[in-house]
Amino acid sequence: MVETKNEPRIGVFLCHCGTNIAGSINIEEVKNYAKTLDGVVIADEYQYMCSTPGQSKIIDAINENNLNGVVVAACSPRLHEPTFRMATQEGGLNQFRFEMANIRDQNSWVHMHDLEGATEKAKDQVLIAVAKARMLEDLQPKSVPVEHAALVLGAGVGGMQAALDLANAGIKTYLVEKLPTIGGRMSQLDKTFPTLDCSQCILTPKMVDVGRHPLIELRTYTEVEKVEGYIGNFTITLRHKARGVLDPDQAAARAAATGILGTGCNGCGDCDAVCPVIKPNPFEMGMAPRKAIYIYHAQVMPLQYTIDFDACVKCGLCVDACGSEKNAIDLEAVDTFEEIKVGTCILAIGFDLIPIEEKREWGYKQYDNVITGLEFERLICASGPTVGHLIRPSDGKTPMKIGFVLCAGSRDNTGGVNKAYCSRFCCMYSLKHAHQIMEKIPGAVPYLFYMDIRSFGKMYEEFYYRIQNEGAKFIRGRVANILEDPITKNLIVNTEDTLLGRPVAMEMDMVVLAAAVQPKPEAEHIRQMFGVSKSQDGWLLEAHPKLNPCGTTTAGIYLAGVCQGPKDIPDTVAQAEGAASAASIPIHMGEVQLEPYFAMCMEDLCAGCGMCLNQCPYGALDLIEKNGRTVMEVTEAKCKGCGTCGGFCPGGAIKMQHFTSPQICAQIDAFLLKGGVN
Amino acid sequence: MAKVKEYGNAELEEKLRDTSYYTDDSNPQFLEDVKKISRTAANMCFQCGTCTGSCPSAPRSSYRIRLFMRKGVLGLEKEALNDPDLWLCTTCYSCTDRCPRDLAPTDVIMAMRNLAFKFDIVPRNFLKTVQLIYNSGHGVPNNDVNRAARVKLGLPADPPTTHSYPEFIPGIQKIMDFYKMKENADRILSEGEH
Repeated sequence: MVETKNEPRIGVFLCHCGTNIAGSINIEEVKNYAKTLDGVVIADEYQYMCSTPGQSKIIDAINENNLNGVVVAACSPRLHEPTFRMATQEGGLNQFRFEMANIRDQNSWVHMHDLEGATEKAKDQVLIAVAKARMLEDLQPKSVPVEHAALVLGAGVGGMQAALDLANAGIKTYLVEKLPTIGGRMSQLDKTFPTLDCSQCILTPKMVDVGRHPLIELRTYTEVEKVEGYIGNFTITLRHKARGVLDPDQAAARAAATGILGTGCNGCGDCDAVCPVIKPNPFEMGMAPRKAIYIYHAQVMPLQYTIDFDACVKCGLCVDACGSEKNAIDLEAVDTFEEIKVGTCILAIGFDLIPIEEKREWGYKQYDNVITGLEFERLICASGPTVGHLIRPSDGKTPMKIGFVLCAGSRDNTGGVNKAYCSRFCCMYSLKHAHQIMEKIPGAVPYLFYMDIRSFGKMYEEFYYRIQNEGAKFIRGRVANILEDPITKNLIVNTEDTLLGRPVAMEMDMVVLAAAVQPKPEAEHIRQMFGVSKSQDGWLLEAHPKLNPCGTTTAGIYLAGVCQGPKDIPDTVAQAEGAASAASIPIHMGEVQLEPYFAMCMEDLCAGCGMCLNQCPYGALDLIEKNGRTVMEVTEAKCKGCGTCGGFCPGGAIKMQHFTSPQICAQIDAFLLKGGVN
Repeated sequence: MAKVKEYGNAELEEKLRDTSYYTDDSNPQFLEDVKKISRTAANMCFQCGTCTGSCPSAPRSSYRIRLFMRKGVLGLEKEALNDPDLWLCTTCYSCTDRCPRDLAPTDVIMAMRNLAFKFDIVPRNFLKTVQLIYNSGHGVPNNDVNRAARVKLGLPADPPTTHSYPEFIPGIQKIMDFYKMKENADRILSEGEH
C-alpha cells in the first residue's frame, strides 16, 4: 500500500471516448487547465480510459506520483465507475479515493455543436471533481449475509418458470399468487403462436412440476402485505386471504390443534353443485356463470375449492354437502398472516387489457358482436363456455366474416387510453385467431385491419406467410369507427385501405378487438412496497434496458414477464429464466457487499431528538441509550444513503459517507469561486 | 348504405359518387382466375412496392403494378380490367426478378389482360397488332427504313421470317383462328367505328 499523506496528490485523467468527447471538447485545453488546479500533480488523457492501456495509466500514475486521489473525466459513473474503482484499488489506493466527472452524457453529447462552451463546462466539471477528490476518505464496503430463500410474486408462466429455476438451483422459493390457482393468463389461452400448441397442454405439466417441487412453497390466494429489509434480508408479510376451504394439510393441522376431524378438500365438487349463488365467471371473461364456491377452472393447481366471500350468503348448503368426513368448509374463515424471510425477490405480476370500451368509436360494450381478443380465446377454446364453437353473442349464429382490429388502443396517445407503446403480441395472436376460424369454420373469412404486421420473432414471419396463404385478408388501415346495423347486428367497419388509397366500409358478422395491454391496477402499490420505479408508460422499470433488463434499481429485486413491458410467452419465459439466474447469484454467494454510503451518527453532536427517525424512508434509524445519553443509531444494511436525514438533522450530527457536507460544500465553493478561495 | 344518391343530375352524381370499397365490390373468383391463369400465388402479395420501384414504366406514367396486385387480392375485377394503365406494362419482368415473395407480377398483369379480352376490353393499338400479325406474321412488320438499314449493314433486306417465307403465314393464321383472335379484333375495331 502506497503511503497516503494528508497533502492532496491528485491525478486527473481525461477520456476522448473516441470522438464522443474529443469531438466536442478541446481535451488538450482541459488537461492543461487541470494541471493548474490545487493538489493536482498529474493530468493525462487517453483515447479510451476504460481500455486496458487506459487503466494502466491510472495504476502507473498512482505508483509513480504517490497519488492519494484519482479523477477520471469520462462517461457516466453508472457505466464505468466500477472499472475505475478497480484500477484505483489495483494502484494501491482505497477504491473510494476515486471521483468521476461526467463530461460525456452531461456535456459533449448535449453541447455537441458548441466546442468553446463545452470545453469551459468540462473545465468546471474537472474543477468540481478535483475539489471533492481533495477531501475523499478511505471507506470499507459492508458485507451482509444473504437468506437462502427467494420470493416470486405472481404465478403466471413467467413466475412459475422463475420459481422452478430457483428451486432447481437448490433455493427454497415462495411462489405467491393472488388467485386461487397458478397458471396466470396463459391458462386462459386456447392455442399459442406460431406453433399452435394447445396452451393448457404445454402449461399444465409446468403447473404440476411447480405443485410437486419440494423446494417450492406455493402460496395461492395470497397477497403481499408488507415488505421490509434489503437485499439478502427481506422480511415479507403475506396475507392469506380467507379461502373458507381447508386443504388436507390444513385440515390435519386443525385436527391436531382443536380436535375437529376432517380430511379436507379433495376437489370433488359436491359443494359447487348445491351452491345457490351464481356470479359471472372472471376466468371466462364473464361469459359463463360461477358459483360462490368454485374452482377457477378445470385444471387448477392446487385442486382446492375457494369461497368468494363477497358473494357467499352463508346458507350452509355446501357445508352439508361436504359432509363430516371431509369437513373442509369453514364459513367463518378470516385472513391470516405469515412472515417469510428471503434473500431476493422476483416480481412477475402480469398485465390486464385496457378498458377498450373507452374507445367509444369501436363500440365495445355497445355492440353485441364486438369482443376482445381474450374473449375470443375463451369462445374458441374447447374448454370454454361454448365448448369451442365461435358464435355471435347477439344471436348465437356462426360468424362467417370476422374483422380483427389490430392496434386497438396500442400506439395511441389519445382517447383516454394513452398507450403510446406497441403491445407486441396482438399481431401474432390475431394471425393465430385468423387461422383458427379458417380451420374451424369452413368458408369463414378473417379480415385483419392493421397498420403494420409486426411478426418479429423466430418463425413468426413464416407464420404470417402461412396465414395469408390460407386465405386471410389484410387491409392496411387503422379502423376509424365501427357501426352496428340495428336489425342484423352486423358491423360496418370503416377505415382506409391505405394501399389502395380508398375509404373502406366492410360489413362484418363479428369484430375482435386486439386490445392493448396495461399494468395491473395493483402494480402501483406493489412497486411502492418493493421500491421499484416505473417507466413513463407505467410498466415496472428495469435497471438498464439493454444491459440489465431483469434487475431493478433496488438491489435484490428482479422483474420477469409483461409487468416490465409487453412481451409474448417465449420472451416472458426467457426473462424469467434470466431473473431467476440473477436472483440466485446473491443467494449462492451467501453474502453481498453494500456500498458504504450509509449515514453515520456523530454521537457527540447528536441531541437524541429523534426527528430524523420519521424522515427515513427505509426505517434504518433508531434511538438507543449509549453512555447514559440518547443517541441515534443507523442500521447500516438498511440505509440506502439517500441523505434525507443528513440534510434534515438540526444539529448537523449525521454524516453521509462519501457525500459529506464538507465535500459537497467544497464542490459548490469550487464552482462559485473558481478555486479562488480555499 | 346507399352508394348512389339521386340528385337527378348525372354530372353531379358522378362527381359525388361514393368511392368506398364495400364488401360486395369484391369478386373473389377474380383472384382465383388470376391465380389460375398467371400460375403465381397472387394472394400472397404483401404490398412492399418493390415491383413498382423496379418498373421502367412507373416513373413515366400512372401505371402502378402494386395497385393491380392489390386489386387482384381484393377481387376488384371491374376496376382492374377497366383501367387503361393495365396495358402500360412492357413485360420486362424486372418486378418478377425482384419480388421478395417470389411472385410473378408480370404474369398477373398478363392474366388480367387475358381476362379483360374476354370482356372486349383491349386498346385499339393492341387489336391492330393482332391484325398485323394475322396478315404478315409480324406485330411490327418490316418497312422501308428498316430495309435500307439492313442493306447498309450487309444483311438481306428482309429477315428470315414470314417476310422471306410467306408460305408459313397460313400456319400462324390457323393458330389465331383457333382462338378467334382476328375475328374478335375485327369485330371490336368495327364496333368502335360506329
